[in-house]
Amino acid sequence: MVEEITDFEVLEIAVRELAIEKGLFTADDHRRFTEWAEQIGPAAGSRLVAKAWTDPAFKARVLSDPVAACREIGIDWTEPTGSGTPSDYMHLRVLEDTPTVHHVIVCTLCSCYPRPLLGHSPYWYRSPNYRRRLIRWPRQVLTEFGLNLPPEVEVRVEDSNQKCRFMVLPMRPEGTDNWTEAQLAEIVTRDCMIGVALPKAGRTADDVRPVSRARRPVPHDAAPDAVP
Amino acid sequence: MSGGPDPSSADAGDQPPPEAAPIALLETLWNDEKTWKKLAPRYGVIEPDPPWKISLFATCECLSAEAVLPSLERRHAEDRLGETVYNGVSGPGPEQQLVALAHQMLRRGLLTEAELAVRMKAVRSRLEET
Repeated sequence: MVEEITDFEVLEIAVRELAIEKGLFTADDHRRFTEWAEQIGPAAGSRLVAKAWTDPAFKARVLSDPVAACREIGIDWTEPTGSGTPSDYMHLRVLEDTPTVHHVIVCTLCSCYPRPLLGHSPYWYRSPNYRRRLIRWPRQVLTEFGLNLPPEVEVRVEDSNQKCRFMVLPMRPEGTDNWTEAQLAEIVTRDCMIGVALPKAGRTADDVRPVSRARRPVPHDAAPDAVP
Repeated sequence: MSGGPDPSSADAGDQPPPEAAPIALLETLWNDEKTWKKLAPRYGVIEPDPPWKISLFATCECLSAEAVLPSLERRHAEDRLGETVYNGVSGPGPEQQLVALAHQMLRRGLLTEAELAVRMKAVRSRLEET
């Protein structure tokens, strides 16, 4: 336990209390979002992938109607309001990797992320550094994550937007024959479903990733030709 | 990469937009040494995020749900502020997200600096009661 009360902790409480007192939102609304946010995590996505690997009919449904397929494993994209959260639109596409195509997701606009399936996005995913560089130099950025793809594998970067969320369905790795869904789910980590890592027998956790600052910050409203 | 003028820079005489002007209260508490990334290892804590992060998320969602502060506007301002006013060594993280949110709420007049300072003092007193 951190035995220290920081100004950040104090600020978070103070902002929230004042916002509720001023009627910007209610304590009930805040509690509802908090309770929802506390129970989301990448384990849901891991289960989805593991089931898709072992059940071809389910996989077909994942690809054709992913939000409905999510309901089959207990993930309801309409929570917690009945229409999702303001930041989580309910249009999802699952991107299936093949031996010749590898997908990786980003949100260049902000930090859109399939939270009902993957939980909260890591801060490196939110960073302007990742968002700007992945779309320009995908292979190089993947290499920085330790993922070296052969030149014959096409890399497709899918840019999330305010209306659509993406998740990667990686290929089932070798050496996992006869594994149960639970065993398979253990190797489907968050980074595999973002597309910056590949599942592998024995790999059950993501490495700690550095959160890099942008080296040459560019305003969002800069003209395209002003981007260095 | 260096050399030559930075095409993204404003002319020397240009002023930052009012939104980006520093706020004394938040500048004072912006201490990189107190970020979770630096603090947690000192106490042997392995959780990657501070315990208040979920509550911060809920506050942001509530503000967006009520159209008080839409998510996209908040995130764009967070990016800008994170690369200028709150450009700490730790880079993007929950503290930057939190301070950028408070900054925007103050600049939009949703809160005043004085009332926030008073409330922070009261909250700290409460938390430090034994």
